[in-house]
Amino acid sequence: MNTESLEMARLRDLLQAAVELELSTIPPYLCALYSLWPESNDTARLIIRSVVVEEMLHMVLAANVLNAIGGEPRVTGREHVPRYPHELPDGVVLDLLPFCPEAIEGFLKVENPQYSHRALGADHPLLAGRRPDVHLAHATTITQRPATIGAFYAEIIEGLEKAAATTGEQALFRGDPARQITRDYYYAGGGIPRPVTDLASARAALTEIIDQGEGDQASMYDSDGDLGHYFRFKQLKYGRSYLPLDDAGTPSGPEIDVDWTAAYPMIANPRGDDYGDPELRAASDAANRTWSGLLRQLEAAFNGFPEALLMAVPAMFSLRDLALVLLANPLPCGDGRHAGPAFEWAQDR
Amino acid sequence: MLYPQNAAARTDPEAVSETSYDAVIVGGGISGAIIADQLSRAGQRVLILEAGPGDDMTIEGYEEYLTRFYSAVTKDNQSPYAVNPNAPMPRSTDVRNIVPGQPDSSSYLVQNGPYATDTVYTRVLGGTTMHWEAKVMRMLPEDFEMASRYGQGLDWPIGYDDLEPHYQAAEREIGVSADVEDQTFLGVTYPPGYVFPMRGLPLSYLDKMVARGVDGTEVEAGGERVTLKVRPFPQGRNGIPNPAYDGGKGYTPVGAVSTHQVETGGRCQGNNNCVPLCPVQARYHAGKTLAKALGNGVELLAKSVAYKVHTDPVNGRVTQIEFRTYRDPSSPEHVTGTARGRIFVIGAGAIENARLMLASGLNSSSGLMGRNLMDHAYLLNWALLPEIAGTGRGTNSTGGIVDLRGGSFRGKHAGFGIDIHNDGWGWATGAPFTDLQHIVDAKHKFGPDLRRALVDQVSRQLLFAFMVEVPPNPSNRVTVDPAYRDQLGNMRPVLSYSIPDYTMRGAAYGRRLAQRIFERLGAEDCTAYSPTDYGYVSYEGQGYAIRGGNHLGGTHVMGTSPANSVVDATQRSWDHQNLYLVGGGSMPTIGTANVTLTIAALCFKSAERMIEQLRAERAPVALLAGTSGSAQGSGQ
Repeated sequence: MNTESLEMARLRDLLQAAVELELSTIPPYLCALYSLWPESNDTARLIIRSVVVEEMLHMVLAANVLNAIGGEPRVTGREHVPRYPHELPDGVVLDLLPFCPEAIEGFLKVENPQYSHRALGADHPLLAGRRPDVHLAHATTITQRPATIGAFYAEIIEGLEKAAATTGEQALFRGDPARQITRDYYYAGGGIPRPVTDLASARAALTEIIDQGEGDQASMYDSDGDLGHYFRFKQLKYGRSYLPLDDAGTPSGPEIDVDWTAAYPMIANPRGDDYGDPELRAASDAANRTWSGLLRQLEAAFNGFPEALLMAVPAMFSLRDLALVLLANPLPCGDGRHAGPAFEWAQDR
Repeated sequence: MLYPQNAAARTDPEAVSETSYDAVIVGGGISGAIIADQLSRAGQRVLILEAGPGDDMTIEGYEEYLTRFYSAVTKDNQSPYAVNPNAPMPRSTDVRNIVPGQPDSSSYLVQNGPYATDTVYTRVLGGTTMHWEAKVMRMLPEDFEMASRYGQGLDWPIGYDDLEPHYQAAEREIGVSADVEDQTFLGVTYPPGYVFPMRGLPLSYLDKMVARGVDGTEVEAGGERVTLKVRPFPQGRNGIPNPAYDGGKGYTPVGAVSTHQVETGGRCQGNNNCVPLCPVQARYHAGKTLAKALGNGVELLAKSVAYKVHTDPVNGRVTQIEFRTYRDPSSPEHVTGTARGRIFVIGAGAIENARLMLASGLNSSSGLMGRNLMDHAYLLNWALLPEIAGTGRGTNSTGGIVDLRGGSFRGKHAGFGIDIHNDGWGWATGAPFTDLQHIVDAKHKFGPDLRRALVDQVSRQLLFAFMVEVPPNPSNRVTVDPAYRDQLGNMRPVLSYSIPDYTMRGAAYGRRLAQRIFERLGAEDCTAYSPTDYGYVSYEGQGYAIRGGNHLGGTHVMGTSPANSVVDATQRSWDHQNLYLVGGGSMPTIGTANVTLTIAALCFKSAERMIEQLRAERAPVALLAGTSGSAQGSGQ
């Protein structure tokens, strides 16, 4: 193997890790979102929803870059599907938690590596016994540098620039353009997925990921004028919205109605194996199968069948409905905690 | 789509009364929104007076509508919108049987009958596009020439070809999803190479089941043989953008409107409650256009109901519109203000436009103000299919039969379109709630049996809604009567309305056709019209229940002279040279197309004329401080 292909292999590996990283942020946000009682916490619902749809866009953008250099994005199988607790670069641990102050603290940390918070200890009452082993994100094991998410993406951009300089831009971006997810099959909140065909569009795609969320906190707003994810969550933490003239500190706008009690108290990091009750187990299995089916559709979409995204829409509705069945049910053990979706890979169709 | 923060708080009644605008628009629905956007782009200073509360164009406001809809017991068209006695709106649930000679004044619309209509329009920012179904077909060329071709109704002063470029503008504004090859029939044409902004939305599974029985069926109408086919409808909801649109520039779909870009919205997800409210704003509503207009600096004064149009007794020009601004919908307390401008546009819907003009004593020299009220007459036919057909999936209506919208038979009886309803029998019987009740109470089912029975019942339901044309008839009309006023003191509309025989002949033909199609499909006809139904109409020994269509028109028809019409082909009033009455009221016929696309097209056409007029009448209005309320010069 010559150096060029080694470099290429590493770039593909990094971008595959990026796809997985973006995917791994989605279940924690969905758990918080779906745990909200119906008709409560409207602002929190909108904020979490707005972030999660942008994470979906980020995953698509990362997949577009990977496809542009001839890779094959994977989001199925135990190897690629995130397991929780899930450790990201910089020691940030993603837990599946219901809507609660601790969950928001976790989101703030994900979205801003500089945010100093006390990480939840494994003995925290929320977690007690529910963080058996932490699964390391691919992005955590692959980087050699001081591992923040920002640095991780910086390495990818540099790698692309270097490869473009050595092998030529055209040779680098040799992926089939038909594999790009464009706005034909994806448009919703959070922006429009741009096809990636050259260094400039790759840089733009990766910058958008950094710009909207993790990483750069130099500005409160992204280039579209949207408040960054970190700042959206700060509004929930402080129960106030930002005014246009506020600086990055504490928001000073009108109060936001945040009711921490109006959410199903889901157990942390639920797993299908937790459910001894056959009905809960069946509901959990159904949710896992739907999640896995959705991931298969996404993988198909990333590998030459973008129209698979159309069918992913009803799959997302089913996933939500099944998650709500679990979330509305207290566990039989009687400690007051509720069941929740495990987001586990289900091998069987 | 970003809605400018605090757009509703830019001005107040006092400031408005001290300002002279280029254009004052009454009504923040699709007509007002399009005209405001066009005029403000041309550098004109524009005010919109909106009767409803104007603070609902935020995501939170929209979510509030949704929450109200979800929790409402009756899911009628107005269920998402709060009751507002200061800008009341008709509601289908309010309609009562009319006793001859005794007008029913129990709800906002005072109805003389003899026919009691359950037609509605929505008085909130965005207007009736907040609850509409967003089926956006063009009118047929023959719809513009009904009198000369078929001896029925009126001719328009313009034809299809005159309006064609404006149809294109309307299709861009609304963001229409359709394919030209599906929408080319009965003389409807497009310029070479035209494509809609977005690709057509697919037919539902139910449509395809129906198509199996319908496609290729030959029927006889007016001595001609017509072959039927199920076609997809053009839809004002987001689908897949067509890259060939606009000479290859493509089209960018417009998502949800909000004050901050916490965006939802995007493509249609097949939620089945387009009417009354799309949960993801994939369906167009006029808020999307208003957001642009407000971004151009248009001023919006909400909670302000136009009360009286004042005119110059010498030259007839409108001098000002007097309005009442309330603070609290439940309280009649209000302040009075006046809005002045170089031109005035009244775009409050066919009934409210006529109501306001008549309440101002402006009957039109033609005497036609408020007359020729039209609304599509809906005849519902429902049946149970022999197998599960997936009813309940998809948007409300994705396909139907349009082959009998036009043809030589229209010399004898009305044409009609047929909608296949993906939402089952809901409109006719209150399904699925009534089904649930029946299965529990009459069949005593519970648990899994109940679930199965409900699925079996609902997913086989087929509803055909025949949208039958209603020709203009001067005695179908809106009037006002000082005896009937709303909480704010505005005179309420009084309706006198009957279904013409021409329409009923079309309905009777439609009923027979439905029976024939049901037979071909092996479906069990469950249609029943009760003589106690408020919409019951007897015709040639048979009874039919006719429903209102919410496609109102005709109350200020356009024509070729002040003698035969209220407005000219640009919707400008013949009597008042700086007044435009816009919307369905200008339409001399409503044909068999849902009216909104045509209304939008007419407003694009009118906006061009308004800009010409504003530029031509350059002399500024003399601003006389402290004279508000007095008749003022017209700015020559």
